[in-house]
Parts: sequence; C-alpha cells; structure tokens
Amino acid sequence: RKAEAGPTNLSAPIQLRKNICTHCSVGCTVVAEVQNGVWVGQEPGWDSPINRGTHCAKGASVRELVHGDRRIKYPMKLVNGEWQRITWDQAINEIGDKLGAVRAKSGAYSVFWLGSAKFSNEGAYLYRKLAAFWGTNSVDHQARICHSTTVAGVANTWGYGAQTNSYNDIRNSKTIIIMGGNPAEAHPVSLQHVLTGKEINRANLFVIDPRFTRTAAHSTEYVRIRPGTDIPVMWGMLHHIFKNGWEDKDFLAKRVFGMDEVRKEVEKWTPEEVERVSGVPGEQLKRVAETFAKQKPSTLIWCMGATQKTVGTANVRAYCNLLLATGNVGSAGTGANIFRGHCNVQGATDLGLDVTTLPLYYGLVEGGWRHWSRVWEVEYDWLQARFDEVPAKAGRNARTRKQNMETPGIPTTRWFDAALMPADDVDQRDNIKAMMVFGHGGNTVTRMPDVAKGLEKLDLLVIADPHPTTFAIHGNRKNDTYLLPICTQFECSGSRTASNRSVQWGEKVVEPIFESKDDYEVLYRLAEKLGFADRMFKNIKVEGKRPVPEDVLREINRGGWSTGYCGQSPERLKSHMARQGDFDLVTLRAKDGPNSGDYYGLPWPCWGKPEVKHPGTHILYNTNLNVRDGGGTFRPRFGLEHQGKTLLAEGSFSLGSELTDGYPEFTFGIFKRLGWDSLLTEQELATIQRIGGNNVDAVSWANDLSGGIQRVCLEKGVVPYGNGKARSLAWNLPDPVPVHREPIYSPRPDLVAKYPTLPDARQFRLPNAGASVQKAGIERNIPRDFPIVLTSGRLVEYEGGGEETRSNKWLAELQQDMFVEINPADASAQGIVDGGWVWVEGPDYKAKAKVKALVTERVAKGVAFMPFHFGGWFQGVDERKKYPKGTDPIVLGEPVNGVTTYGYDPVTGMQETKVTLCRIVKAA
Amino acid sequence: MKLVSLFPLRAAFFGLFGAILLAVSAPAPAAAQIVNPTAQAVQEDKLLRQLHHLEGRISIPDQKASVLIQPAGREWREFHNTTVFWTGAISILGILAALLVFYAVRGRIAIDSGPSGKTMTRFNGFERFIHWMTAGTFIVLGITGLNVAFGKYLLLPLIGAEAFTTFSQLGKYAHNYLAFPFMIGVVFMFLAWVKENIPNAVDVAWLKAGGGLFVKGAHPPAKKFNAGQKLIFWSVILGGVALSISGVILLFPFYATGMAEMQLAQIVHGIVGGVIVAIMIAHIYIGSVGMEGAFDAMGSGEVDVNWAKEHHSLWVKEEAEKGKVPGAAAAVPAE
Amino acid sequence: MARMKFLCDADRCIECNACVTACKNEHEVPWGINRRRVVTINDGKPGERSVSMACMHCTDAPCAAVCPVDCFYTTADAVVLHSKDLCIGCGYCFYACPFGAPQYPKVGNFGSRGKMDKCTYCAGGPEADNSSAEYAKYGANRLAEGKLPICAEMCSTKALLAGDGAMIATIYKERVLKRGYGSGAWGWKVAYKETITV
Ligand SMILES: Nc1nc2c(c(=O)[nH]1)N[C@H]1C(S)=C(S)[C@@H](COP(=O)(O)OP(=O)(O)OC[C@H]3O[C@@H](n4cnc5c(=O)[nH]c(N)nc54)[C@H](O)[C@@H]3O)O[C@H]1N2
Ligand SMILES: Nc1nc2c(c(=O)[nH]1)N[C@H]1C(S)=C(S)[C@@H](COP(=O)(O)OP(=O)(O)OC[C@H]3O[C@@H](n4cnc5c(=O)[nH]c(N)nc54)[C@H](O)[C@@H]3O)O[C@H]1N2
Ligand code: HEM
Ligand code: HEM
Ligand code: SF4
Ligand code: SF4
Ligand code: SF4
Ligand code: SF4
Ligand code: SF4
Ligand SMILES: [Mo]
Repeated sequence: RKAEAGPTNLSAPIQLRKNICTHCSVGCTVVAEVQNGVWVGQEPGWDSPINRGTHCAKGASVRELVHGDRRIKYPMKLVNGEWQRITWDQAINEIGDKLGAVRAKSGAYSVFWLGSAKFSNEGAYLYRKLAAFWGTNSVDHQARICHSTTVAGVANTWGYGAQTNSYNDIRNSKTIIIMGGNPAEAHPVSLQHVLTGKEINRANLFVIDPRFTRTAAHSTEYVRIRPGTDIPVMWGMLHHIFKNGWEDKDFLAKRVFGMDEVRKEVEKWTPEEVERVSGVPGEQLKRVAETFAKQKPSTLIWCMGATQKTVGTANVRAYCNLLLATGNVGSAGTGANIFRGHCNVQGATDLGLDVTTLPLYYGLVEGGWRHWSRVWEVEYDWLQARFDEVPAKAGRNARTRKQNMETPGIPTTRWFDAALMPADDVDQRDNIKAMMVFGHGGNTVTRMPDVAKGLEKLDLLVIADPHPTTFAIHGNRKNDTYLLPICTQFECSGSRTASNRSVQWGEKVVEPIFESKDDYEVLYRLAEKLGFADRMFKNIKVEGKRPVPEDVLREINRGGWSTGYCGQSPERLKSHMARQGDFDLVTLRAKDGPNSGDYYGLPWPCWGKPEVKHPGTHILYNTNLNVRDGGGTFRPRFGLEHQGKTLLAEGSFSLGSELTDGYPEFTFGIFKRLGWDSLLTEQELATIQRIGGNNVDAVSWANDLSGGIQRVCLEKGVVPYGNGKARSLAWNLPDPVPVHREPIYSPRPDLVAKYPTLPDARQFRLPNAGASVQKAGIERNIPRDFPIVLTSGRLVEYEGGGEETRSNKWLAELQQDMFVEINPADASAQGIVDGGWVWVEGPDYKAKAKVKALVTERVAKGVAFMPFHFGGWFQGVDERKKYPKGTDPIVLGEPVNGVTTYGYDPVTGMQETKVTLCRIVKAA
Repeated sequence: MKLVSLFPLRAAFFGLFGAILLAVSAPAPAAAQIVNPTAQAVQEDKLLRQLHHLEGRISIPDQKASVLIQPAGREWREFHNTTVFWTGAISILGILAALLVFYAVRGRIAIDSGPSGKTMTRFNGFERFIHWMTAGTFIVLGITGLNVAFGKYLLLPLIGAEAFTTFSQLGKYAHNYLAFPFMIGVVFMFLAWVKENIPNAVDVAWLKAGGGLFVKGAHPPAKKFNAGQKLIFWSVILGGVALSISGVILLFPFYATGMAEMQLAQIVHGIVGGVIVAIMIAHIYIGSVGMEGAFDAMGSGEVDVNWAKEHHSLWVKEEAEKGKVPGAAAAVPAE
Repeated sequence: MARMKFLCDADRCIECNACVTACKNEHEVPWGINRRRVVTINDGKPGERSVSMACMHCTDAPCAAVCPVDCFYTTADAVVLHSKDLCIGCGYCFYACPFGAPQYPKVGNFGSRGKMDKCTYCAGGPEADNSSAEYAKYGANRLAEGKLPICAEMCSTKALLAGDGAMIATIYKERVLKRGYGSGAWGWKVAYKETITV
C-alpha cells in the first residue's frame, strides 16, 4: 500500500483526519488529506492553539512515514546471519516460546522490556501492564536517557515531575532563560511562542549554553559556559540575588522549605570561583540574575543540557531553586518550562514505563500494587507470584517475591552491563538474557562498544518498530533476532500527552501499511501467547485481536487519580480535537463551544471523573485560580514536617479554598474530621469502604476509585493532594542541596580534585563505579591526551537515533553527512579544514568515529559537538549491508555514542552524553 | 603624489574592507565577551552595500545554493540582453551590409588573366577534410548559437512557441555535440596551417595595398596565405579557442566554476561567437561567390595557376621551385 | 488582483526547514531540486541570521528576460511561472536570477540539464488548474484552490510571510515597530526594486 501525492482530485471526496506529529513533544496537530484510503496531502492545522498550522521540517514531512519506502514490511528473523521472512503467527509463537525458556531458566527479570515514548498513552500503559503481568519492573523507555533527572529533581521539589506551564504561556514572560536547551532545533514550533513573547513584551531572552546555538542567535544575551558547570552558574546567580536581597521573601516564607540550606552552599560560589569553574564573568551573571529576579514574570526553560549528566538530578534541583528564590513558580509567565523530548515521552512517563513505578507515579509500594490490582481486577497475590525470588548473592540478602516486586528494575542505560557483568554483581536471579525492544533506537545509549557485546550475549532479541533500528545491525548476532513491523501512530488511534501535559487524541489516518500492525494488537498477541490475555484485557474491549484504545483510556481514567488522568475521557479529548479553534492562544481556555471553560487537551491534573468536568490544569501550583478552574498548590509528598519545621504552606492557598492555610493530602479520615464525609454519595461511600476494608480512614484521593473524595475537594476549592511547601532541601537525595561535581571525564584535573563525583555505590541492581572511573581517568592522564570536551545533541531535521528521519527522503536530503563541530583554533592546530574528514577518538575502548569537520565558532575553543542521530557506520566501517534488504536508511553515519563514555546519575541512572573528552585528528 | 591625495583612497579602501571583514567575520564569542545577538544581527541593506553578493552556510551539498542574493544576476541580464545582443547584431548586420556594398561596387573578383586551364594543388585531401569538418560544424554551431541569442525575436514569432522549442532543443543538442568536432578541427587547422600563417613583412605591403581587393587588377604579392587569410586563420584559431574554453565551461556548468565564472564565460562566448560569425560571413563570401576560382581551393583542392599567380605569386614561385606547378620549370639547383 | 510576494523575517527564522520540506512534500519535488532553501549568514557567530529563499517572483523578472525560448509568463497575481513544455534547459535563467531560484534535474549527458524547475508560488503551471498534468510538472496549485503557499503557511515561527505585498509589508512593519529591531526585507530591493522602511 503506497501513498502517492497527486493533485487533490476535487471531484472525489477528501477526508481530513487529525493526528499529532510523532516527533517531538510540542504536539503539533497534523491534518491529513485522505482520498480512497491514501494519505495524499497535508494541510496546516490552523485551529491548534499549540502550532496554529505550523510545523518544523519533521512535522511538515511526516506523510513520508506512511509512504514507508524503507520500513519493515513483514516479520523477519535472523537465521545464521541472514534475514528471513516469516509470518506473524510464527513470529509470536517462537518469541513466546523463547521468552518462556528464558523465564524458566533465569527468571522473569532476565527479560528486559524496553518500551517507547512513541507509544500512545494507551500503548505505554498496556506495555507497563504487560511487564507487571510478566513479573518485572525492568521496563523502561526513553525518559531514562532524557528527562528522568528532571522528573526526579522536580518531583522531589514540588510534587510532579513535569513542565509547570506551557509553550503558549511563555508569551506572558518578561524574562526568559533558556539553559541547556536548543529549542530552535529541538522544539522549533515552541519558538513561535517564545519569539512572539520576546517581541510583544520586549522580553529579555537569555541563552546559557556552551554552544552559540540557533536559539542563542535569537537571544538578547548569550552566556557561554563550560559544559558541566550548571550548578556553579545557578549558584553564581543566586549569590548575587541573595547578596542584594532580590529574592522573593514573601514567596519563600509561605511556600518554600529549606532555602537557608541552599544559601549556605551558595555563599561558597563567589563570582571569582564561578568564573574560574564555568568561565562566566561575574558582571554578566549579575546582570542576568538581576533581570531574572526583577523583571518578572520570569521563566526558566531547560532540556538535555541540564539533564543528561552525572549531576542531572542535582542540576535540575538547582534550577528549581532559582525559580523558587525569585518566586517564579505557579503563575502566568513563570515556571519551569521543561521542554520534554519525544512526542509522548510525557505520557509514557506518566503511564509508568519506568523501572521505579507503576502507572501514574503510584511507585512500587504495596499500596500502589494493590491499587492497580483493584483497577485491573486481578488478584494482588497472582501478580506477586509472577515475580522471581532473589537468592542471597555476594553478601547481599535474599529477596522475597514481594520485596522483588517493590524493588526498581534495571534501566535502559545499564541493561548491557546486566547482561555482561558476572551474575553475582547483578542483584537478581540471573543476568539479562533477552530483550524486547518496542520503539527505541540502538544508537542512543552511551558506550556502544559494550552494547555490542551485550547484544551478542542475549538469547533473544526482539525489535518491534516501524524501522529495523541499529539494534538490528549492531554487534554480531546471527540468530534468535526478530523484527516485527509496527505501524506508526498515524496508522492507529490513541491519545498522546504533549510537553505541557495537554492530552491530544490522534485519529487513524490510514490503515497500517504492508504487514505492519499497531502496538496494541502486538501486545495482545504476546499476552495471549504468554497466557494472560484474558486477565490483562479483562475490562478492555478487544476487536479481533486488537484492543480498543478508547477502552484502554477508560481504564487509565479509572485508575489515574494520583495525577489527575481521571477526567480525560476519550469523548472529551475527541471533542477538544474537533473544536480546537475554540481555545485561546495564550490562556489555552475555551471561550465557548461544547468545551467552554476547559483548557486545551485537559492538561493533567484533570481532577475527578469526566462527568465532573474539571477543565484540566494549564499552570501547575497556581494559587491565583480556584482549583475548579485549574488552580493548585505545591504538593506535600514528603511528610508534614521535617526537623521540627512544617512542610505545609503557610498563609498561602489557592483562590476560593475553604481551607486557608496549608493542609495535607485528603483521606477519608481527614474527610471525617472535617465533616466532609457527609458530602459523599452512598455509592461513593460504598466504594471507599470496599477499598479500605479494615482501614477505611486511609483511603485517599489517590486510590478512591469512586472519585468521591476528589469531587468533594473540588466543591470545597481544595487541592486533593494537599497544600504544601516546595522543598529546596531534598533530604532523601544523595546531595540534599545540589553540589557541583565535575563530570567523570573532565578537562580540569584541578577541579576534579576539589569537586569530585560521588563515591561508588550500588544503584538499580548494579554497581555505579563513577568515582573509580573518574579517578582512573586522571591517573591515565586523559585530559592531556584527549583535550577536547565532546558534547552532543540535536539537529532539527533528524530525531533520536534517526532511523525514521534518516529514512525520510525529504529530511535525509538536508543532512547527508555526520559531522563534528570544531572551533577554528582547534581545527587549524590539527590542520583540519571545513568539510574534511576527521577521526574523533574517545578515551575508552579505543573508540573512534570517522566524520566530517564543520569548523565553526559555534563551539568554543576546546569544545566539540556532534549530533547523535546517525548510525549504520561503526568505528569507521559502513555497515549498510547488514540491514535487511530495502530497510536501510538513506543516510548513514557514525553514532556519537560509539565514542561516549561511562557516567550515571545516582538517582535515575541517567547516562552522561553531554560531557566527555575526545581528541580530533585529520583522517586520510 | 602627496600623502594627502593618497589618504582618501586608502581610507576608502580600509573602510570598505574593514566593513566587509566586520560583517563577514564578527569576532569570536569568547566566554568573557558579552554579546547581544539581537542587536548584532546583520542588516540586509548594509551587507548588500558592502558585498557583491550575500552568502552564508547551507546544509545541502549544493554549494551554489549558499549564495542568498546575487544582484549580479541583474547585471548579467543587462549584459546578455544588451551587450551580447547588440555586439552580435551589429557585427553581423554590419558585415552583411558591407559585403552588399562591396558586391555592388566591386562585383565578383574575377581571374584577371582568365583561367589558364592548368591547375596546381593548393590543399590536399586531409586539409580539405579538416576545413569542411570545421566549417560545417561551425555553421551549425553558429546558426544554433544565434538561434539562442536571436531566435526568440526572429524565428519564434514566425513558427510559434512549440515549433521554436523543438527547433531550439534540437539546436541545443546539435550545438553541444558538434562543438567537439569543431574543437578538433580548430586544433588540426592550427597544426596544418600555422607555419604559413606566421605574419611577415609581405603582409604589411599586402595590407597597405588593401589586398588589391578594392582596385581591379591590383595583385599585391602573397605567399601561401595572404594577410587577409591570416587574419581569418587567426580569428578562427583565437576565436575558436575562446569559444572552446568558454563553451566547455558552459557545457559542464559549475563543475569547476562558480556563478561569476559561468556568467563571464557566457558573456565571452556570446560576444566572441557573434563577432566570429560576422568575420566568417566575410570569409565565406570571399571563398565562394566573392571571388572567381577561390572555391576550388577547398573544393577539389586544385586551383587554376593563373588564379594562384594573381593572388599568391610568391607561393606559386615556391611551388614552382619544387616542381609542383605545371608549365613552370622546376628550379634547377645552381651548380 | 493582489501582488503576491514573499518576505522572510530573518529575526524570526530559525532555520527549521519546515518551509523546505513542506514544499517537497506538497509537490513531490525530487531529491536534488530545492525550490526553497534556507541560508544562514554569519553561521555560528553573534548576528547569525537565517533566511528562507525561493523564487521571489520578481518585478521585471530577469529570468523571463533572458530565456531564449521566452517560456515565462506572469500571472495576474504577479506570480512568475514558466512552461516546462517550452523550456530547453539552457540554464540562462539561473545565471540571471538574483536568488538562485531555478533548479535543474541532472538528466542525460553533459550540459543537457532537464527542464528547469522552480518555486511556482504554489500556483502550478500553464496546464488546466489542478489537473494531473499540471501536478506532474509543477506540483499542486494551491492558489487555484484559494490557499496560499504551503511553505509560508507551515513556517514554524511565522517568519515566512506570503501574500499580497502590501499586506505582508504591513505585518512586517508592525512587528519591527513592536519589537524595535529588524534586519530588513531580504531580497526586496533586488526583486521588487522597493523595500520596507520602518
Ligand atoms: N529535531 C529534533 N528535535 C527533537 C529531538 C530530536 O532528536 N531531534 N528529540 C526530542 C527529545 S527526545 C529531546 S529530549 C529534546 C532535547 O532538546 P534539547 O535538550 O534542546 O537538545 P540538545 O541538542 O540535546 O541539547 C541542548 C543543549 O544543551 C547544551 N549543553 C551541552 N552541555 C551543556 C551543559 O553542561 N550545560 C548546559 N546548560 N547546556 C549544555 C548543548 O550545547 C545544546 O545546545 O528534543 C526533542 N526534539
Ligand atoms: N549522545 C547522545 N545520546 C542521546 C541523546 C543525546 O543528546 N546525545 N539524547 C537522548 C535522548 S533525550 C533521547 S529521548 C534518546 C532518543 O533515542 P531513541 O528513542 O532511541 O530515538 P528514536 O530513534 O527516535 O527511537 C524511536 C523509535 O521508535 C520507533 N517508533 C515510532 N513510532 C512507533 C510506534 O508507534 N510504535 C513503536 N513500537 N515504535 C515506534 C521509531 O521507528 C524509532 O526507531 O536518545 C538519547 N541519546
Ligand atoms: C561555406 C562556407 C565556406 C567556404 C565556401 C569556404 C571556403 C574556403 C576556401 C575556398 C578557402 C581557401 C582559401 C584559400 O585558397 O586559401 C578556405 C580557407 C579557410 N577556411 Fe573556409 N570556407 C567556408 C567556411 C569556413 C568556416 C566556417 C571556417 C571556420 C571555422 C573556415 C575556415 C577557413 C580557414 C581557417 C581557411 C584557411 C585560411 C584561409 O584561407 O583564410 N572556412 N575556405
Ligand atoms: C565556433 C563556433 C561557435 C559559435 C559561433 C557559437 C555561438 C554561440 C552563440 C551565439 C551562443 C548563444 C549565446 C547567447 O545567447 O548569449 C552560444 C551558446 C552556447 N555555446 Fe556556442 N558557439 C560556438 C562554439 C561552441 C563551442 C565550441 C562550444 C562548446 C565547447 C559551445 C557551447 C555553447 C553552449 C553550452 C552555449 C549555451 C547555450 C546552450 O546551452 O545551447 N559553443 N554559442
Ligand atoms: S517535531 Fe515537534 S515542533 Fe516539529 S512539527 Fe513535530 S511536534 Fe511540531
Ligand atoms: S527570483 Fe529568479 S526565477 Fe524568480 S522571478 Fe526573480 S529572477 Fe525569475
Ligand atoms: S532553462 Fe528553460 S526557462 Fe530557463 S532560460 Fe533556459 S529555456 Fe528558459
Ligand atoms: S510557494 Fe510553493 S512552490 Fe514555492 S517554495 Fe513555497 S511551497 Fe514551494
Ligand atoms: S519554516 Fe520559517 S523558521 Fe523555519 S526555516 Fe523556513 S522560514 Fe525559517
Ligand atoms: Mo529525549
């Protein structure tokens, strides 16, 4: 089935179908023109308040995805190094049998389930559910290598790990800092809002980045920093703010806990020390700090420059502290505008494709498991029995099934270590032996030479993706490798959550092309083969073998109280998509029409059952609005007090609240104390009693399946999760107040001595040997032999590992060669010319990449940048022939992760992709 | 020259280049330097005043595309549509008019002493082959070339757009392919005839006498080629080389050249083409209808001895010495 | 009738290439033919600006003036179009064009470029509006459908403006007044012999 464009045949009927761009998190509406089941053209989606008809290069060419010249056309398997066509039935049978064998031999945890931020919410949810039914928490997705540190850092500060405001709301800002993000390339349509805001408000737009990015080109001031020095820069700014009393004292008193601890750390960061470490002059930083603190509202935008670090979580927490100190959270034009990554990375994160939690942040605690077992209507004990027991190993205690069920799994960044390390080092029954990859590139995780070895060790590798991905060609696998053709989100329907938490429903544009199937059906078939389809799809309608996404969403609604995923019924979402034009560009609120009063896409939290018609929450923690209108407060998640000081808000509450001070989260017990239990209906009471059993008082807003508690909270104008203070001090993290720590491979041994990384420790079932590696590096004199800091990131034309976008001829034409940006001074020292071939050599594995030189002042002397979207070459060798015939992307090139090195954030296992060392030499 | 008078020039020089340097390579943003990229943005009108074209970076491999604006395109259009057009038109029309007048006044130049009936060899088969290969391809090249320059004014209105395109397209193919035999021809002509075409004192006298063209019965002496023919020869050689070089550049656009070179090549080609065509019209006239007996030199290769004596007396002498002139005794070496 | 023009507000353009791929996608423009492209001046340096450029549909179009087969024509909307049936691929319009707009498929041997292709302002060609023949040679004819060029409509930041010259000049003027800076109406002087003064 091929889709050719042609003249729009005006005599034949044309259907317009609305879906959402499947690339980045902006969530641009795509309007497809369909004739006779063929996608013939693309029109601007004028009505979308997010993109107002516009796109970037990727969105404007998504029709090519469904043209699918280079997609996997039918299931295949690798037999003695040759790709053979097989049927779907054969594929599912063989995969199921092999999974069973691995499970029998090594346990459930020996299978690593890698999911995708490309899934719809429904797909992500089913994948997480499938992993739970399989009996593992080793289920992960791109957020690990993307914003995991944001989620951890931000959630540990004020409650939820998400963008607080929206792209649109930036139009209200007077001062904007973009630090560690290059939205001109990574979130191009967001720049429509940023630049319009800059123009209308004559706003200050600071870009703080080691590279003079395309975003920086549009700033009013550019601040160049040395990669990996975000905390010194933040503390440097706060230093000026505290010294001059520019902080928002009222906000701090009412809504923030523990800023004094931050002050102590900040005092150490004098302008001189900041400049010594980061390279930023004190005067410049003072100006930025003063503007940010005084010309309000101010917002801080960040992305991968902050997160992809061994200090990622700490970075993010430092960023939050700048916002808190200046009172820039919880109102229009302010906030942590965290630009998320893939099209549905927010939703996939929310729905628990994560080694540390069940869907919607219920965690892995027994309460969470019991909540979901009630929603799923499966016995908790049955679920528990699916998990392995872990024997005592290497001095560590044994774990029961229950304990194992409540222990985080192995993250994406480390699965190959779990496959390669001695079994004793891996804190579970056995090594990883099999991997299921749904929608994830193979060139996007660091240390690719080790990944290759890990892949070679596996008994089974399944790649379920529209494209083969570099997983299909990396390493030297000869057998037991399967390719399952999955269709794109344009060939199925479902909802996806944009960066700003708006949930958008995408319509199916055309039927899946070739033999491809959607994720839903493949997951159903797998569950069926594995023997738990009946249980898993107990309350979900299945047509043929395809679960109905609307029904999946209804199940999410039934369980999604904790995050306010309960109000976004498929009907409401579809109505929003149909009437996008009713929503205001800046407030995102519908002025009239059937969705009048709603915020576009019912950004979560959207409290209560759909019938309650909560409008969603455009701006989180916004006390200027009634919670019924999307108002909120900081979420008290960490107890009610710490070291004798209250963690509840003081004298601050959301507009119209019946409680005019801080308050904890609502439980039935508290309802009784307030006398609000009488406001619950009989049915609601019955449900609460059924859930509570002999501890009814503990039933809370988050697990009350009746929605009664949330309904009454809305009536009373109180926020279901409570009204607390944001935490400047997060005592449960390795560095409760962020502390600067040099990258594992730093060019400054002097600073490593003063600011070393955290000591080695075990995390996520594995050792994190960061400190040893850092020390060994200095001893090996790496800064001398590899003097250039290597950072990596995005090009507007390609996405992620790039398999989809490098197969798109409209995009591939625009970037035909992998390259490294190198400063003219470094280039001329090596006799390197613009456009010439060079080797970029890494400090480990004798790693090297052959790429073209792009000589530019965009990077400072001593810094080099490479895009990470290339693959198909490895260490100088073109591996095109290893792709199944006809599926090789148009453009191939060296993956930067063939050169990147060791380094993991202690809180989330985030990899270090933004700072390592290299040397660059001329290639023949 | 006094220093004062040098100064403004120099200031202008540095001013201009300084500005260009500033615009093209703004200083490197060292960490310590405060930059406001909005305020420092380039201004189109300023750049355009300083630079002959605006160029930047582009990610596609087609480096031509990195030129954003080349106002020179408009200048080239002027050149092409006016200079090339009028040089060609005036040269060709001028020559045609001159020949008409010449013919009207002088008529056909006859062999004054009448044909002798005896012939001598002027050009061997190989030479004639070269000549006609070159001449034939030149004529097609000229016609098709002129079609490109003038066709849309002359031919298009007569035969209509479709037919004109068909003709022009065929003409273009012809022009492209016949260029090669033409170039080979020019090379061989050069090798074959260069020895006899080196200018000498005889030519001066010949020219002073106007080649005898304007006076009946006047026959200034000449060797194998008279000065007029030498002029033709060198026009063909030099013009041919110019057309070949510029033509080859046009044939392989942008292989080794940029826009400016392409535009220059085109202008050279157009102007030289027009002028050479005009010159060759005169040659053709003389070589055919203009002079009795001349055509035979390239037709059969045998010319009437009387014709030869009249126009190339010194050559006849040389040939006679070699015994190659019937009726003339071979020179007997002095003993 | 409107006098159609393009204006790329370089202070908004972020080199996202949406305009480029939108054009490709709309008209199925083959690899190697770039009806629109984005050029970055001062790349990587302060003052960097990107400009998206295609055929500007010039006043007194140089391409038309030099075409040996006279295959250009200007529509009532002042859009400069040409006939591929008549074009002989000589390349002259490319030498004359101040904006590098004409493009050529490489067909056959040396020198024989195929039929020239360039931005049509999404207005097709001489064939019947929205016929398959028109689509095959020139791509979609959005103007005939009452729509504007897709490149401008899809521009991520609304940097690229298309429409009646007077109207887009007004929009641009207002922007510059509001924000206090503007790098100019790139190409206007050369294409239209006029510019926008604010
Ligand atoms: N075109 C395109 N768009 C995308 C994607 C894509 O692949 N292609 N991916 C999507 C995804 S998954 C994501 S997560 C986002 C990512 O979007 P971004 O994070 O905006 O993109 P990056 O280019 O990875 O990195 C941003 C910047 O971080 C800077 N940086 C590097 N080191 C440091 C440092 O130590 N400190 C600071 N402050 N900055 C530093 C880099 O110079 C770079 O300019 O983009 C999304 N959008
Ligand atoms: N060095 C370096 N490495 C990095 C980064 C960096 O900046 N530098 N950035 C990191 C970041 S932030 C991220 S998010 C990752 C991104 O890295 P990846 O997520 O690996 O990137 P993609 O190639 O976009 O992978 C998505 C895959 O999903 C497939 N897909 C698309 N739609 C569907 C669908 O509906 N169902 C299924 N099953 N599959 C689908 C696509 O074909 C594609 O293969 O890379 C990380 N790696
Ligand atoms: C129908 C067209 C032509 C005719 C009838 C013609 C005829 C002649 C004749 C008769 C001669 C010999 C003159 C002599 O006896 O010395 C000659 C010579 C020559 N012809 Fe042509 N010619 C023609 C076209 C051309 C063309 C197109 C070219 C150039 C490309 C050319 C280049 C020369 C040269 C270089 C010579 C030798 C030098 C000279 O005699 O002037 N001829 N031609
Ligand atoms: C000697 C005889 C030649 C003459 C009289 C001649 C004449 C011309 C003329 C008048 C034009 C049109 C110029 C304009 O409109 O501005 C032209 C175009 C051209 N000529 Fe020639 N030319 C000759 C030889 C050559 C040669 C030897 C080559 C190549 C090696 C060549 C290649 C071209 C090309 C590529 C064009 C561009 C037009 C097109 O593509 O058809 N020409 N020539
Ligand atoms: S990639 Fe992002 S910005 Fe570009 S069209 Fe898609 S959603 Fe919009
Ligand atoms: S931009 Fe070039 S192609 Fe377009 S009208 Fe002007 S000269 Fe002709
Ligand atoms: S390439 Fe075609 S359109 Fe351009 S000048 Fe030549 S014939 Fe005319
Ligand atoms: S107007 Fe149409 S043809 Fe021209 S560049 Fe834009 S999209 Fe392409
Ligand atoms: S779409 Fe707009 S912002 Fe993007 S490159 Fe084109 S003109 Fe510039
Ligand atoms: Mo990401």
